Amino acid sequence: MKKAIHIVLCLWLIGCTAKYPKEVELALDTLPEEIDFNFHVRPILSDRCFHCHGPDEKGRKADLRLDIEEVALGQLSDTGSFPIYPGTPGKSAVVHRLLTQDPEQQMPPPESKLSLTDREKATIIKWIQQGAKWKKHWAYLPPQKAALPEIEHPTWGRNEIDYFVYEKLRKNGLAPSDEADRRTLIRRLSFDLIGLPPTLDEVNQFVLDSADNSYEKVVDRLLASSHFGERWAWEWLDVARYSDTNGFQGDPTRTMWPWRDWVIKAFNENMPYDEFTVKQIAGDLLPEASKEDILATAFNRNHTHNGEGGRIAEETRVENVFDRVETVGTTWMGLTLNCSRCHDHKFDAITQKEYYQLSAYFNQTSENGKGFSGVVPPVLDVSPIEDIQKINRIKSHLKELAEEVDQVETQKFPRADELPPSQSKAAEKIAGGFNGGLDENAFNRNAFQLVLIYRYFKDKDPTYANLLMKLRETKLQLRDQSAKNMQVMVMDQLDEPRPTYILTRGNYSSHEEEVFPNVPAILPSLPTTVSNNRLALALWLISKDNPLTARVTVNRYWQAFFGRGIVKTIEDFGVQGALPSHPELLDWLAVDFQENGWNLKALFKKIVMSATYRQSSKISQELKEFDPDNVYLARATRMRLPSWILRDQALFISRLLVDSLGGKPVKPYQPPGIWEEATFGKITYDQGKGEDLYRRTLYTFWRRIVGPTMLFDNAKRQLCEVKAVRTNTPLHALITLNDVTYMEASRVLAARVLRNQHTDKDRLSYLWELATSREIHEAECSLLMDRLNQLRKQYSLSVIEAQKITQIGEYQSLDQLDLTDHAVFTVLASLVLNLDETITRQ
Amino acid sequence: MKKLLPPAAEYAANITRRNFFGKTALGIGSLALGSLLNPGPMAARPLGDPGGSFPHFAPKAKRIIYLFQNGAPSHVDLFDYKPMLRKWHGKQIPDELIHGKRFSTMTGNQPDRPVIAEISSFSQHGQSGAWISDFMPETASIADELCFIKSMYTESVNHAPAITFFLTGSEQPGRPSMGSWMTYGLGSISEDLPAFVTMTSRDQQNSCGQIFYDYYWGSGFLPGKFQGVKFRGGGDPVLYLKNPEGMSRETRRSMLDDISALNELHFEEYGDPEIQTRIAQYEMAYRMQMSVPELTDFSTEPQHILDMYGPDVYRKGSFAYNCLMARKLVEKGVRFIQCMHAGWDQHRNLNHQLKIQCQDTDAPSAALIKDLKQRGLLEDTLVIWGGEFGRTPFLQGDIQDYKNWGRDHHPYVFSLWMAGAGVKPGLSYGSSDEFGFNPVENPVHVHDLQATLMHIMGIDHEQFTYKHQGRRYRLTDVHGHVVKDILS
Repeated sequence: MKKAIHIVLCLWLIGCTAKYPKEVELALDTLPEEIDFNFHVRPILSDRCFHCHGPDEKGRKADLRLDIEEVALGQLSDTGSFPIYPGTPGKSAVVHRLLTQDPEQQMPPPESKLSLTDREKATIIKWIQQGAKWKKHWAYLPPQKAALPEIEHPTWGRNEIDYFVYEKLRKNGLAPSDEADRRTLIRRLSFDLIGLPPTLDEVNQFVLDSADNSYEKVVDRLLASSHFGERWAWEWLDVARYSDTNGFQGDPTRTMWPWRDWVIKAFNENMPYDEFTVKQIAGDLLPEASKEDILATAFNRNHTHNGEGGRIAEETRVENVFDRVETVGTTWMGLTLNCSRCHDHKFDAITQKEYYQLSAYFNQTSENGKGFSGVVPPVLDVSPIEDIQKINRIKSHLKELAEEVDQVETQKFPRADELPPSQSKAAEKIAGGFNGGLDENAFNRNAFQLVLIYRYFKDKDPTYANLLMKLRETKLQLRDQSAKNMQVMVMDQLDEPRPTYILTRGNYSSHEEEVFPNVPAILPSLPTTVSNNRLALALWLISKDNPLTARVTVNRYWQAFFGRGIVKTIEDFGVQGALPSHPELLDWLAVDFQENGWNLKALFKKIVMSATYRQSSKISQELKEFDPDNVYLARATRMRLPSWILRDQALFISRLLVDSLGGKPVKPYQPPGIWEEATFGKITYDQGKGEDLYRRTLYTFWRRIVGPTMLFDNAKRQLCEVKAVRTNTPLHALITLNDVTYMEASRVLAARVLRNQHTDKDRLSYLWELATSREIHEAECSLLMDRLNQLRKQYSLSVIEAQKITQIGEYQSLDQLDLTDHAVFTVLASLVLNLDETITRQ
Repeated sequence: MKKLLPPAAEYAANITRRNFFGKTALGIGSLALGSLLNPGPMAARPLGDPGGSFPHFAPKAKRIIYLFQNGAPSHVDLFDYKPMLRKWHGKQIPDELIHGKRFSTMTGNQPDRPVIAEISSFSQHGQSGAWISDFMPETASIADELCFIKSMYTESVNHAPAITFFLTGSEQPGRPSMGSWMTYGLGSISEDLPAFVTMTSRDQQNSCGQIFYDYYWGSGFLPGKFQGVKFRGGGDPVLYLKNPEGMSRETRRSMLDDISALNELHFEEYGDPEIQTRIAQYEMAYRMQMSVPELTDFSTEPQHILDMYGPDVYRKGSFAYNCLMARKLVEKGVRFIQCMHAGWDQHRNLNHQLKIQCQDTDAPSAALIKDLKQRGLLEDTLVIWGGEFGRTPFLQGDIQDYKNWGRDHHPYVFSLWMAGAGVKPGLSYGSSDEFGFNPVENPVHVHDLQATLMHIMGIDHEQFTYKHQGRRYRLTDVHGHVVKDILS
């Protein structure tokens, strides 16, 4: 009570004098004219206050919530004060708590190690002065197409994107950059749309094509290429934590690649994103689901599976359910749900209960957490029809044999009908019942039990014993055939729903209240007309009212073209996430995407046709200082190509790349001993041969515990990852300089150059153009010419060195080349493949 | 308009073309270069964080060597001497101890849980009178250097989650490991080596199958450059380190000079600071190519030093080899070195394997401490020796079947030791009950240990956060108290 009086007294004082600390006063003068709750105020409250005064019930202090308008602007029952008094900062307890020097009163409290800057304090004060207008978090409101802003630029602006971008540029006193030159443009388009550089013919054709629609022709050609699906499948594989093994101890191999091929096909056929969504989340529940529909659900079985010795099966099962919830949350809803596993979300209004309600959708498969192999049921057999028939034949033969055995045993072990043979007088004298074999009917006995029974009766009753042996052989046959067939882990649905509980701190065995499938209350509710299962959830995600899915999707793909999302936090659209840099643009694109039938190719085309996209990526000093991260898009973004595209490019330029779609994963070059070291010698890397060495990186076998070593910057494929990883480590340089993949490509590329051109100068130009898609400059050429002459001297003196460097890798060539020249150009090719320009999309 | 950037980018942005470039890449000042890729002390705090200088206070240690013993060494057989076990040998462990406790499925359903006495004998050593197993004679010889914690406890009963918890503060993979946090915060003091290096070894008989997952030294949501760089025992110590066949060192050097020069021309046209980073990145790769082979050359080591580490030191990739490498890396200024040794998981082979494990690790661990000390490096280097949990005081298996005796995983109490900068030598901190089952005095949680290690490195674990997915993350999550009593 004493404290309350103290507060009121202080408030009165502040109210009277209306003086703020000098620094805050100064900051007040620099604030924007209008303070917006969503853009200016909530980020501060959420970041510094919600931890104790937010949605988390258990962590809440003083029973005060600042995330709900009614409470934040209402009168507190205990003290009678107002946390926020619209129009009057002096009457707002929050303001007092922010400004006071008294450590007892100060908010955030000193021990939290959090504080507000003067500008942030001023922002809250000014917002209260302006009436403390409250708004729902932007991402939970449905997106709407705003009217296009005026564009005053006479020549700039090709489509809607540009109007929004220009508006932002103008407000910041910026102007767009010039369009990039044609060579840069076609190179950029090629990498972005198909993940490969253009051929020289394609470049020249485009440079010479003066038709109005020359650019659009290139775009359309690339969108129609079958490499399009390969390029876009890669990111989806990162999202889906795709791997060819389970992870963890033993790291057994699984057969998920038929699903990977399904993804490639879906992108190539431009499957609408809503259909793409529904099939992967709930394809098995569609009416008359086809085999392909069921295959699509492997998305939710791509998680790791822990079959370590001593592992509790239920714990594994529950982990897998969590993974599905969180993957779907990140991928479609842009929400980080994992915090809610253990407690109410500190910042977002998603409760622990709601987390488990969502998990109830994914808790209904027959998966039981058991199993150590890479084929953990439920599975779908996608083998050729003959192999499936083989399995079916073995199965029915097995059934017949088992019935035959059962019949023989009714006479051999007379007993009441329902009882197992072990309960007969005849069996009683057999100690152990053959390891429990006689407790089971014939069909359920394992091979070991059958052997025991066989041995016992081998001489006593050979006919019966032989029948048992046949049964055993058939069982083994089934096992072997199953191993041969391609069985993909997929989703199914239990007939009887499995109950779902809130789990204390996410512990699999600590059941609290039972919960039922439902979506978070902050979002639109489910339609009531459908049965409430995974399919309902999938349909809800793509429903028109869902404010998140289209925004999240458009934003994730925007990142691929501009290096960052309109919302920078691709994975977090919640209140702690970044605010959109261009909110109207994001909403316009999201709505347009929905209106166009979730057409991805149309979305990509819209993006690459814009003037925004076509800008040059050159950076002026001014822009570098004002907008280093290219938030405002006054230029295109230069991006180092990811390691998988770097490898594909090297194979492509050297013409080593094998152009075929889909199929079993392959094992290209990898330094020896990597798998062996990671698995204590239990698994050896059986490197592929011939074409297997030169397929697109997409088809490289992915061992989860130790991913392909040449990929120095990729998602780890342990958990869902949506954010592009770009990091510069010395390891990158070591790989592209020294890896046999790149050196082999260099010597084969060198051969291509030597075959096609005949003077040093032509050869240098040709090499340069193959790698960068542009003509070599004079300065560059003379620099390389000097090096060429140096190298020629060196290698002509050392035949052995020349032989070594021209024989790296397994590729066999029939070319009769001058050895010295070949060695020289191998080094030069490697040099050119390592230029910043070659490895960057600009 | 000044934007806060991650440390490396900040550096890059601050280095102007004028002072950054000499005529060729060779002109780049070595300090600037090292800092660029292994950023110096964190210049900028993550956006939205309160200010404050960094490190938060004077560090006691500059470097850490973590000798991580995967598989969980048995505390009751090695450091936590419990005469009670011998008295109770063969009798069922009291019910009240195990009631409601979780064990792995290997003993979770075992009907009998007889106590078994320690496998080896114990004796007291040094001024401090530390009880140490006779399987560890060399460790015993440095007893007065060691600071034991005998009241460690953790959360998980399975290896991978428990190790992940120790190294990243969370049982689920995906958070930055301790070494990444430290190098992110403190930067590098080496000019040609990564700031965070990891090495692995396993017991010679391959008696257990623990895998070294690369997220044990992963950078999680921190930028990838803070990830531990794995030095390997066989082949190139760093992957792809060797020049291709037929390319001499001179050719490589001149080729890199050309790449730099051409990149520089390109930079003039494009102005992207990323191009400068690229030049430095290639230069750093070259420096690693030059300096790493030197590291792995033990021929300059005096014989008595090699002898101290034991005969295994000649076997590349052994624990002994890695310990000597750790010392050499420390000399080169590597900030955080994580040597992980697997082989401690004695479920069924305690009677013969435990001794072998001790033989593999005892001499090298002690040699490392002595070697650091005689070079004055122990004054600013902290060494930690310990596993992810302990082992049950009761038996796994059948007491009649002596050959196959074992102990199961035991997270409720266990021991580890530290030595060097920041901790009191000759101290035994905390204690367990008379069965070595639960802590009874000064329990130390894994998060407490992490908080303490950060403290010793000059970091306040509560202030050192990184914002990711809308949340401020710490190595210690929302827990952890510095164990002040052990600080020197």
